[in-house]
Amino acid sequence: MNLNLTGTESIQTNPSRLWESVIDPAVLQRSIPGCVSMDELAPGEYTITLELKVAAVGGNFEGSVKLSEMNPPNSCLINVSGNGTLGVGKGTARVTITANEDDTARITYEADGEVSGLVAGVGQRVLMGVAKHLVRQFFTALKKEFEAN
Amino acid sequence: MVEKKYKFISQPRHPSENRRFVAGRGNFVADIDRPNMLHVAPLSSHYPAAIINNIDISEAMMMDGVIDVITGAEIGAAIQPLMNGLDTPKVQRFPLAVNRVRYAGEWVCAVVAESRAIAEDALEKIIIDATPQPFVLDAEEALLPSSPPVHPEHGSNILLDRKFVWGTVGEDFVNAEHNLSFSVIWGRNSTVPIETFGVVAEWNGWDNILDVWASVQMPKYSDQIARCLNLPGNAVRVHYDVDVGGSYGVKRGIKHATLIGYIARKLGRPIRFIEDRLENMRAGDAHGPERKFNVEVAFESDGNVRSMRMRALDNAGAYAGRAPFQLGKPISAIVGPYQINSVSYHAISVTSNKTVQEAVRGFGQAPTNYAIETAMDRVASFLKMDRLALRQRNLIRSDQFPYLIPSGSTYDSGDYHAVIDKVLAAADYKTLLVKRDHLRDEGMMAGIGIAACLEPSGGNSSFEPLLNEANKTSTWMESCQINVDGLGHLTARIHTTSSGQGHETLVSTVLGEVLEIDPSNIRITRPNSLESLPGNSPVGSRMAIMLGGAAARSAEKLKAKLIKIAAHSLGIDAEKLTYAGGNVLAPDGRKHTWQDAVELAHRQFHNLPEGMDPGLAAFDIMQVPTGNALPVDGKVHMYPCYSFEFHLVLLAFDPVIGRPEIHSYTVGHDCGTVINPAIVSGMTYGGIAHGIGAALLEEFAYDPNGQLMTQSFLDYLMPSSHEVPPIQIVKHCTPSPHTVFGQKGSGESGYLGSPAAISSAINDAVSALDIRFEKLPIRMSAISDAIANKSA
Repeated sequence: MNLNLTGTESIQTNPSRLWESVIDPAVLQRSIPGCVSMDELAPGEYTITLELKVAAVGGNFEGSVKLSEMNPPNSCLINVSGNGTLGVGKGTARVTITANEDDTARITYEADGEVSGLVAGVGQRVLMGVAKHLVRQFFTALKKEFEAN
Repeated sequence: MVEKKYKFISQPRHPSENRRFVAGRGNFVADIDRPNMLHVAPLSSHYPAAIINNIDISEAMMMDGVIDVITGAEIGAAIQPLMNGLDTPKVQRFPLAVNRVRYAGEWVCAVVAESRAIAEDALEKIIIDATPQPFVLDAEEALLPSSPPVHPEHGSNILLDRKFVWGTVGEDFVNAEHNLSFSVIWGRNSTVPIETFGVVAEWNGWDNILDVWASVQMPKYSDQIARCLNLPGNAVRVHYDVDVGGSYGVKRGIKHATLIGYIARKLGRPIRFIEDRLENMRAGDAHGPERKFNVEVAFESDGNVRSMRMRALDNAGAYAGRAPFQLGKPISAIVGPYQINSVSYHAISVTSNKTVQEAVRGFGQAPTNYAIETAMDRVASFLKMDRLALRQRNLIRSDQFPYLIPSGSTYDSGDYHAVIDKVLAAADYKTLLVKRDHLRDEGMMAGIGIAACLEPSGGNSSFEPLLNEANKTSTWMESCQINVDGLGHLTARIHTTSSGQGHETLVSTVLGEVLEIDPSNIRITRPNSLESLPGNSPVGSRMAIMLGGAAARSAEKLKAKLIKIAAHSLGIDAEKLTYAGGNVLAPDGRKHTWQDAVELAHRQFHNLPEGMDPGLAAFDIMQVPTGNALPVDGKVHMYPCYSFEFHLVLLAFDPVIGRPEIHSYTVGHDCGTVINPAIVSGMTYGGIAHGIGAALLEEFAYDPNGQLMTQSFLDYLMPSSHEVPPIQIVKHCTPSPHTVFGQKGSGESGYLGSPAAISSAINDAVSALDIRFEKLPIRMSAISDAIANKSA
C-alpha cells in the first residue's frame, strides 16, 4: 500500500542550524522514533535499525537512509528503505527549509512511501495514522533539541 | 414415483456426532499431543514476486530452543514436487518457495523449535536477501504474452486453454431471432473455516512409518504424501479419527503435510504445525475461484433460449492447485436446469502472483450458476418478459428425464416446475411482489431475486481426463466395511475423515435401515489409511450416494449371509425365508434370530453351510453409479445425480446507505431421498449463508502492489447472524434411479444458487436506475457509490 505524507513545521532556530541538525546522525538518532542505531557509511548515507511498537503494528526494521540533491541549507532528498519481520518499505521525502518572518525556520516535507508485506495488509487501517504519529514524534523530539540548546 | 416409507431413513433423528461436539469432546488436530513434540512457524515473503538470493539463518539457529530452519532449497532437493493434475511439468510446486517467490505471503522457510512462540521469535532473526521481480495480478493481463510469467520455465501464464463446442452453436446463433452478450465476475472468495489447517506428523524409524494426524478433507492424501516424500504407500499412516473443524473443500493442506512429514522424518521427533489466521488467509493456499465470464446467448422472441457461448477465465494464483479443474466440473451442468440446445465453452486458467486456489464447495459450479442465471435475467429484461415465466418456459420438464445435455452428461431425474410451484406457494409470491412495491413506495430500493440451479453430485473425477488426456481415471470409488462381533454388535468402518458432514449418522442410518436394527447401537469407526479400503473422501457432494451406497451394499451382503445361515440351520430354502428386524423367519413360524446366527458364525463352524467362511463380516467397494467411460470427443458423462434448488429472495436497501437487508428468503430443495433431514437442512442453511458472503461481503482483495488486503476477519467480512435471515426450506423429493434409496447429494446445496439469487435481487432493485452490478461481491460501498453517481 502507498503512503503519502506532507506537512510543515516551524522550529525555533534559524535555517542553517536546522539544516545542520537534520543531517547530523546523532540528532537524527535521538529524534527518529524507535531508532536503536544509526551508522554512517559515507557522508549522507546511513544504516539504521528501528524498533517500532505502535498499537498492533510492531517489529524490528533494518534500513538504509541516503541523502541526495543536497542544497544547503535549503533542500535535500531523503531516500529510505527498510526491511523487517513485518514487511518492507521504501520511500522518498523532499525536505525544504525556509526562514519564517519571525526568525524561526520552517521545514516542509513531501513524502511518498510504499509498504509491502504483512504490515501492509494487517496494518492498512492504522498505518496512515501510525505514520503521522511517528512524524509527529520526530518533530517533537527535534524541537526539544533546540529547546535544550 | 411414490416415496418409499423408511424406518430410519428420512426420519427426524439427531445426528449421532452431535453429542461429542456439543459436549466439547471432539478430537481435533490441535487435541493431538505427542510426547517430545516440536513446533513450526513459516516465514512469509513480503514480495509478490522475487528471486531469492540468500537466506541467512545463522542468527536464528543460535537461539535457545530452535532446532532447525528448513529452506526451500533444502526441501526442493529432498522431495518430489506436489502433484499437479495437469500436463504442465514445469509448473512445479513445493511446500516452501524454491529460489523464487510467486506471491506475497508465500512461505520461504520454516523454523522448527521447542515451542511455537520460540519459532515465531526466530523468524525475526532470519535475513532474506531477495530481488523483487515484475508481477501480474489480473487474469486478462496474465493472458497477454507480454505479461511477466509467474513460472518463467513454463514460458507463459497459461495453465489451461480448452475450447469445447457441443452441438450446432454457430447454426443456432444464426437462426435465433436475438442474441445478447455480457460479462460478469465472480470475486475471489472461499470457505473460511474457523479451524485453520493443522497437521501433526511423527516418524518411527524402527517401523519405517510416518504417522499423520491432520485437519484434512482430501482424496488420496496418504498416497500424495508418500509420493512426495519418496516413501512406499504403506509407510504413511493417516489417522482418520481426527475431527475436521470445517472444510467444504479447502482442507487439503498437502503442502503442509509434506513439509511437516519431511521435518518429522529428518529430525526423528513429532512435529506440529497449526496455521494461525494470517498464515491461513495469506498462504494456506485455500482461496477459491476468481472467474470472469463472457457470455453470449441466442434466443427467440417467445423466450426460448437456444444456445450459449461461454468464456470462463479463471485466475488460479501462483500454482496450479485444483484451480484448473474447477473449470471442469461445471461442464457437467453447463446448461443449468434448462433446455439449451448447444453450448460452446472456452475454459482458461492462468497463473498470477496471488495465493493458490483450493477446491471450494461446488468446485466451480456456484460461479457458473451465477453466470447462467444472470443470462436468464438478461434475456428476460431484453424481451421485457417476466423472469420467472422465462425460466419456467426453458426448464427441462419432468417427463424429459433422463435428459442428455449437449456436453455429454445425463441428468437423472427431477421435477423443477413442481419445486418452483411449491416455493411460490410457500413464499406467497404475489404478496412478495406487493411487499416489494410497498418498500419502493417508502423510498427503499427493493428487489426480488430468483435462481434455479443444479447440484451435480456423486463425485466422480471425469473432469480430470476431460481436461488432461494423459489422465485415464474412470473410477472414484468409495467403500465400507462391517463386522458383527461375538456378542452380536455391529461395527462399521468408514475410510475417511469427516468435516461435519455427519458420516457416522449416514452410515449407521443406512445400515440400520437395511438390517432393520437400531442405528443407535451401531458403532462407527474411522481407522487409519493403512487399515482402510480404497476411497476418495467426501468431495463432489458424494457421500450420501457413495458411502451410503457402499454401506447399504455391505449390509445387503451381510443380510444374505444371515439368511443363508438360517436356511441351513432351519433346513429351508433361502428363498422361502423372510428377513425382519435382524431375525430370519420361516413360513412355518420358526424364527432364526440374529443371536442364533452370531452363535453359529462365531463359534459353530460345524453348523455353517458348507464352504461358508466363519464370522459375520462384509465389505463393499463401490464404483460411482453411471461412471464407466472416459471422455470421447470432448464429451463425458460425469455425475450420477443432479439435485435441484430454487431460490426466491426479497431484499431492500436504503439508496444512500446501500446495505442490503434480506426481508424474505425461501429455497426449494430436491435432493431425492433425504437420509437425515437435520443434516441436509444444516447443509442448506449453511450453504445459503456461505453464498450471502460470496454475494455481498467476502473477497480476497489485493492492492496494486500485490499485497493481500483482506487477511483477517477485520477485513475479510463473513456473514454473521445480522446478515443471514431466517430461511424457509421447501422440500421436494424426486428420487434418483441410480442410488440405493434414491438419494442425491446435498453438501453444496444453498451455496450453488444464493449468490445468483442475491445478485438478481439487487439488480432488480436498481433496474429503474439503469444500473447493473456485474461483479461479486456487491459490497454496500459499490451499491451506494453507483446510486450516488446516477443521482449526481
